[in-house]
Amino acid sequence: MENSLAMTALIFLGAAIIMVPLVRKLGLSSVIGFILGGIIIGPFVLKLTGKNSDDIMHTTEFGVIMLLFLVGLEIEPKKFWLIRKKILGLGLSQMLLTIIALFLIFYALQWRPDQALVAALCFALSSTAIVLQTLKEKDIFRTDAGEASFSILLFQDISVIPILALLPILASRPQNHEEQILLQYLPDWLQPFSIILGVALLIFLGRYIIVPFLRYVSRSGMNELLTASSLFLVIGVSELMVVAGLSPALGAFIAGVMLATSEFRHELESQIDPFKGLLLAVFFVSVGATINFYVIMEDPMFILTTTLIVLITKFCILFGIGKFFKLKIDQNFMVAFALSQIGEFAFVLVNYSTDLYLLDPKLNAQMMAITAITMCITPILLIINEKFIEPKMVKPQNQEEKIDEPIEIQKIIIVGFGHFGSTVGRLLRANGVEATILDYDSERVNLLRSHGFKVYYGDAAKPGILRSAGAENADLLILCLDSPEKNKFVLQYAREKFPQLKIFVRAKNRLDAYDFYNNGVENIYRETLGTAVNMAVDVLKATGMRGYAARRMGKRFTLIDKAMTKKLAKEQTSDKVTFTMKDYLEKEAKLLAEDSHSFDESQWNDNDEF
Amino acid sequence: MVIFAHPYFEYSSANVELIKVYKDVEQIQFKDLYEEYSDFHIPTFRERKRIRDYERLVFHFPLIWFAMPPLLKLWIDEVFDMTWSSEVNHPLQNKDAVIIVTIGGKEENYTQKGLYETSILDLLKALTLSLKVNNVEVVKFITIFNADDLDQNHFDEISKKIKNTLEIP
Repeated sequence: MENSLAMTALIFLGAAIIMVPLVRKLGLSSVIGFILGGIIIGPFVLKLTGKNSDDIMHTTEFGVIMLLFLVGLEIEPKKFWLIRKKILGLGLSQMLLTIIALFLIFYALQWRPDQALVAALCFALSSTAIVLQTLKEKDIFRTDAGEASFSILLFQDISVIPILALLPILASRPQNHEEQILLQYLPDWLQPFSIILGVALLIFLGRYIIVPFLRYVSRSGMNELLTASSLFLVIGVSELMVVAGLSPALGAFIAGVMLATSEFRHELESQIDPFKGLLLAVFFVSVGATINFYVIMEDPMFILTTTLIVLITKFCILFGIGKFFKLKIDQNFMVAFALSQIGEFAFVLVNYSTDLYLLDPKLNAQMMAITAITMCITPILLIINEKFIEPKMVKPQNQEEKIDEPIEIQKIIIVGFGHFGSTVGRLLRANGVEATILDYDSERVNLLRSHGFKVYYGDAAKPGILRSAGAENADLLILCLDSPEKNKFVLQYAREKFPQLKIFVRAKNRLDAYDFYNNGVENIYRETLGTAVNMAVDVLKATGMRGYAARRMGKRFTLIDKAMTKKLAKEQTSDKVTFTMKDYLEKEAKLLAEDSHSFDESQWNDNDEF
Repeated sequence: MVIFAHPYFEYSSANVELIKVYKDVEQIQFKDLYEEYSDFHIPTFRERKRIRDYERLVFHFPLIWFAMPPLLKLWIDEVFDMTWSSEVNHPLQNKDAVIIVTIGGKEENYTQKGLYETSILDLLKALTLSLKVNNVEVVKFITIFNADDLDQNHFDEISKKIKNTLEIP
């Protein structure tokens, strides 16, 4: 069956849409849904994919590049520094031990040394996509296991880059007769030079071209332009790297790190993320579709034993490292199971090695199959862990955990950093409370950043941006936007998507406050209340009232006004607004007439709360 | 009702430990003045109305410059009324009180012949007299000296003492 590319893409997406909810219902990771969907539409079951699936896989490999770009964006140099010991210790030991162990095993099984090494390199990696997805779905990012997994994955993602650089060197040694083709790929002596050149170029670009360019685009205020330039950036950088003779993944990663400290980080993240998600989804489906079952059936024992060897080796090494780094036993099991599969970079690496004539097509197909199979097994392993191993481990651990669980620092997001928001932010900062700040005025963001504020450029009214600012794990959301409508929009969105957030909101006046109260927010700050009261208190003093009495009256006024607003908000929905408004205003005046200093008990009426 | 007043609570190792004792007891209302009225604005009428619901007032505070913390004094100033002593059914009727004071200094300094020449009881005369004129009997007066250098054993001992006091009928 010969399909157009669009048709094939349609089938791929269709498979994903049907399979993922099914698989999620069974409590499995969505990745396995994608792969299963791919197998079903693939040439061995429904034969829907035709010959285009290889093309699609290559196209959607771009999803991996975007993933690397996003990983780069995540690695802020500072954050990197904080968990450097974990990354280096866990990651390096995992990679080295696994590579050595697998190499020795393969070598002992009489593989060709270079092939054994390539296989060991490829198989040592775990799947960032699967594990991160699983961590997110299980919501265990903040646990020890989550952090350890993330550290190892991060190191692996970084080590893909030297591996990609290492493969051509590996290839050139034993196979002299291929030299001509290899030279076209990468001239040997130029290679280290080109890496340095490329990286320097990227750093220069990031600092002096990309960020000013994004600033320029953002000033135009057009969303589509930002999306376009984000895509342009990622694709451009990776193409540039290809031209420079480097891996596009490396380019994307470095570009990501370069931009991690810029104010556009969250904006870029939210722009690229949907594309990455889409491409990765199709990528996983095409992985499923390209599993070559004929190769498996030809030599099922080989595939089976290799898969088992890889899984068991990786599991044991991870478990050992976890033990060495004093992970608790249940967390350790979690990490070891979660990271025991082979990652999606293996597809890239295996294909790349085949292009370099390191692997023959048959071995290529076998390694792809092994990789795909381990990926499919991971969710099953995790279920085994969850159902059978964890219940036995957790019970005795439980009490201990409660005590030594570290106190989490509250995560705060401030939206809007104009005169109002920056006052809030400055007081927080003066007390050592860090917040993630979003603002939509690129010039202001620029200025604030030069004063050392951690401000990011982004429009919080756009759904993705709050998420990439970390709203899922945040505790407090502080809305200080100028426009009440925008505040309300973000508020409603946040309450729906991130119900755990405690929300503080700025309101212009009483009417806004009614709106917010009726939306279920308790912490409302009317900008026209506090300052106006302060002014009135000073005016009272100027008229001759004692300062202390004026302050007390002002305070009392504020409390009564707040309570009245709350009461009125509830009645706003009914028709008798104007009447009750007048009613309450009268009551307010009467109350205010009584100083609380008056000790006449006859005045202990219904409004004695203040 | 426990009326707890401590302006520098976050720096007090002793009181952080000691107020845990109130957590496990039912029928106790724990009132942290410096948390609840951090702006020193006390809703007088509300306090007067609510105070009727409790049988015992437990004043728990550190001694600061030889006196009770200013917010506790303000609370008493605002809530108590001089005319009550002549009334029959005033809000402090049929109540008793417990006073628990933590003191950084040594016990021997707070004696007639000691460094400060005044006893704790004399220093807190304003509080005890205010209670006395309103017919509130102080059933127990607990003083905790050297509050900054106590260890867990001391805490356990004092907590037990406080607990027993709370149970006095």
